Amino acid sequence: MKEISEMKLPDNVKYTDDHEWAKDEGGNVKIGITDYAQDQLGDIVFVEMPEVGATYEKGDEFGTVESVKAVSELFMPICGEIVAINEGLEDAPEQVNSDPYDGGWMISVKPSDTGELDALMDKAAYLDMLKG
Amino acid sequence: MSTESKKTLLHAWHCEHGAKMADFGGYEMPLWYSSVKNEHLAVITNAGLFDTSHMAVVLVDGPEAFDLLQTCFTNDLSACIGPQKKELYPGRCVYGAFLKENGDVIDDAIIFQLAKADYMIVINAGMGASIAAHLNAHAAGKDVVVKDLTDMLGKVDVQGPMAAKIVSKVLAEPDRVFEAMPYFSFKGHFDAASPLADAVRTSDGTPILLSRTGYTGEFGFEIFVNPNMIETLWQTILDAGDEFGITPCGLAARDSLRAGAVLPLSHQDIGNWPFMNHPWLFALPTDGHKTDFTKTFIGSDALRSSENADYTYAFIGNDLRKVSTTDPAQVLDADGRTIGSVLTCATDMALGMVDGKIYSVASPDRPAAFKAKGLSCGFVKVDRELSPGQLLQLKDNRRSIKVRTTEDVRPYRTARVPLKNML
Repeated sequence: MKEISEMKLPDNVKYTDDHEWAKDEGGNVKIGITDYAQDQLGDIVFVEMPEVGATYEKGDEFGTVESVKAVSELFMPICGEIVAINEGLEDAPEQVNSDPYDGGWMISVKPSDTGELDALMDKAAYLDMLKG
Repeated sequence: MSTESKKTLLHAWHCEHGAKMADFGGYEMPLWYSSVKNEHLAVITNAGLFDTSHMAVVLVDGPEAFDLLQTCFTNDLSACIGPQKKELYPGRCVYGAFLKENGDVIDDAIIFQLAKADYMIVINAGMGASIAAHLNAHAAGKDVVVKDLTDMLGKVDVQGPMAAKIVSKVLAEPDRVFEAMPYFSFKGHFDAASPLADAVRTSDGTPILLSRTGYTGEFGFEIFVNPNMIETLWQTILDAGDEFGITPCGLAARDSLRAGAVLPLSHQDIGNWPFMNHPWLFALPTDGHKTDFTKTFIGSDALRSSENADYTYAFIGNDLRKVSTTDPAQVLDADGRTIGSVLTCATDMALGMVDGKIYSVASPDRPAAFKAKGLSCGFVKVDRELSPGQLLQLKDNRRSIKVRTTEDVRPYRTARVPLKNML
């Protein structure tokens, strides 16, 4: 298990209480789970994805991430429409462990309200939360 | 149960090596180090090393020890060894359970016969005091001494096809020790004062009790040792096993391995319901008929007369997805009726399904299309008798998965392979 000081926490993404990250990519927002979340879950063996075109409210469950030991829900950090899913995770779900912010991204969302992204935690606030 | 978890003597080692720790049976134990999937696969292809010092040991000796155990234990110590059902004898051990009068399970156990009128019982974490009290309650007037060794022994398990090669490097006289050592036999003693202690020593002279048992379904050993020596033994085995790909393993891999091997977890797959109608009839003194017991024991009357007892079956899923058992998942039959609950649901990551057949990474006949993506497996408890292959739906508050009952899960397990073939 990683120490908090060993966690990869990029500056250019926003963070949620439920350990998702969200990154503005010039209009659409990419979403995944943080290095802390993947470390807690252990080996990710399956990611259950939503349908492209579905819309969700902030806080809705959009999928599940399955480790060898448990199944955990994935929650929408913002409201919006799913415009893409990371199909590469079907054959290589372990990318969520090895590369949580890049190869391990899960969904891309067209936000209904761009202000919601700004309201999420930045790195410093998320780090404070992890440190308790 | 105490509020603070106990620690085994390898606790510091686990933490230093990055283990994710969690409470199990009152002990803070490693769930995994870096990858539970790799740990699971290592035990099937090479070897894994487990700290199992949380398990409890109770000694029973005296002229009437046999009578006491025959009364309290489900298996028949006078008829349990081999296909001919021979009597248990020194150097052999047997699986069974301790029941209440109503047929419910207190705990499952392996009884080792150390010598005439001298037995060692290995039970689950935190159960030493309960089992010792249960035995003492039935020992009144009997010439027998019950001794709870909880937290006074170290135990490590070396499991996997390379286990014999690794352990042979650790032993002082491997050829002598490995001569005639079938599945469910053991040699040696953890107590230097025992006359058995000379039978198995490590290269540095440490006496150990070496047993050809385990909880993974794979070939290997359980090793009982004086706790002062456990850190040295752990490191010695890791060093010896390096060239054979040994991997330290946590309890998560142990759980998924045992689920794929159709072995029950006490207080989860067996527990406060009658110990019958389950896949572990070999733990009962049967001669083929489910309740036609060859002896009377505590709980046997309840099992004989029990009506409407639930049935426990192993199942296999179509893919690796699991349901949660913390909010007990329901079992639905083909007509959508709820017929029971899910006891265990784990993923055996060594498995894959091709044309409806289960293959393992160890299957020599695995087809080109085989990919070890993992299959969910475990146990369900239902209110009616089912046949193997019956389709069921397991439903938790999130999803439902399709599974079928099965008599076996992971093919080509190595637990029973003769030791000489493993050197």
